[in-house]
Amino acid sequence: MKYPNTNTHGSNPRSKRVSFALMTAACGLSAFMLTNSMPVLAEKNPEWRPAPTERLVKLPSVYLKKVIERDFSESDLANAIGDRDARIALKGKTLADLRDAVDDAEGEMRTELRHQFLAEKKEYVKLLGERQELHRKQLRTKVRLYGRILKGLKRKTGTSATTQRLLKKQEEARERLERTTLSVDMKVFGFGVGGESKYSREYQKNMQSVQTLMAALKDHPMNAEAEIDGKRIAKEDYVRQLATNAEAEMALLDQEGTILGYMAKLVALDAMALAENLSNLDPYEEDIDDKGINDSIDLFITR
Amino acid sequence: MKNPLKTALLAAAVITVPGMAIAGSLENLERERSILLEVMFSPSIENGVRHEKLALGKRRLIDLERILLRDKSVIGRNTPEVRSAFENYDLTFLVHASVDKGLSMVDHWMEQVGVSTHSIMGSRIGRR
Repeated sequence: MKYPNTNTHGSNPRSKRVSFALMTAACGLSAFMLTNSMPVLAEKNPEWRPAPTERLVKLPSVYLKKVIERDFSESDLANAIGDRDARIALKGKTLADLRDAVDDAEGEMRTELRHQFLAEKKEYVKLLGERQELHRKQLRTKVRLYGRILKGLKRKTGTSATTQRLLKKQEEARERLERTTLSVDMKVFGFGVGGESKYSREYQKNMQSVQTLMAALKDHPMNAEAEIDGKRIAKEDYVRQLATNAEAEMALLDQEGTILGYMAKLVALDAMALAENLSNLDPYEEDIDDKGINDSIDLFITR
Repeated sequence: MKNPLKTALLAAAVITVPGMAIAGSLENLERERSILLEVMFSPSIENGVRHEKLALGKRRLIDLERILLRDKSVIGRNTPEVRSAFENYDLTFLVHASVDKGLSMVDHWMEQVGVSTHSIMGSRIGRR
């Protein structure tokens, strides 16, 4: 008996449905894997994308740093750094506990604890390295951001030579006109027909309000200019100072990287010693290890 | 062919309108000043009428000069018209400059453009 829709007339609908179901399942599975891996990817490559520069250029100097810090604190990068900090603190406590345990243990147990101690130190150094890298990323972003803000400020205030000359001429004209305003008013309106014009009267009234408001703006705390060592500085200088501070922090990070390198070397040597089972290094090792851990904890606390 | 024409008209409007909008206070001042100068030197106006028109024009010009100087849109606006206006304070701000120098508007204007009794008396007809 022949069945309809066999191969002689085209593809089998049942096989079509099966292949479609398989494709859907495959797509679903890959989508599932992708979405689940995204937090991992985000975690592995946390970013900080600062607020648009145009907005920051308009902010008063005093407020600028706070806004940038707050923006950073809400980023994935800040979360990642916070996470590393917490894990480093925990690892430090674990190392301290293990060190005490090694001191108290003997024989096989002691060797086992030393292995564990070494593994934890390796992990600790790795965490410090990750934290340093994230901190470096933060500082690089900061330096780039300050550079963009400075460019924005220069664009706002920068002028060509002809424009500067024009501005100077306009300022001189303004001063000259203001000097002669009173004498013009006396000569033209003082004993002429009619008094001063409506524009002059209203202008005087508005000027008083303008001056009152300007005084209030000047005294407003949010409008205060930034200070360094008690001296008020212009916004451009303040941003330049912030950029310099960030560069200095990066230079210090490089130095801390060197320290971390030495710590990693010590851990490697400890591992070699443990592998060779050089018992006479036991007291020596602990002293060096203790010094390295203490140094790094101190650095961590003061950071 | 409609489209290119439309585009050209639109472009012309875009180019001209912003310029007019920005130099409004300067344009107004220059227009009023030119009317005043015409009144000053027009031979067909009687002296009495001239005097009245000058008095009214002077008051208008005072306000317009002050409006221009206080116009924020003109500050740093690097166009030839604005540059020329502020390079020549004595010609642009005619009323204030004439009071500053203690001269009448006419005398001040003549002095600025280089017309004086001496220059007129020293002039002669000749070939260029």
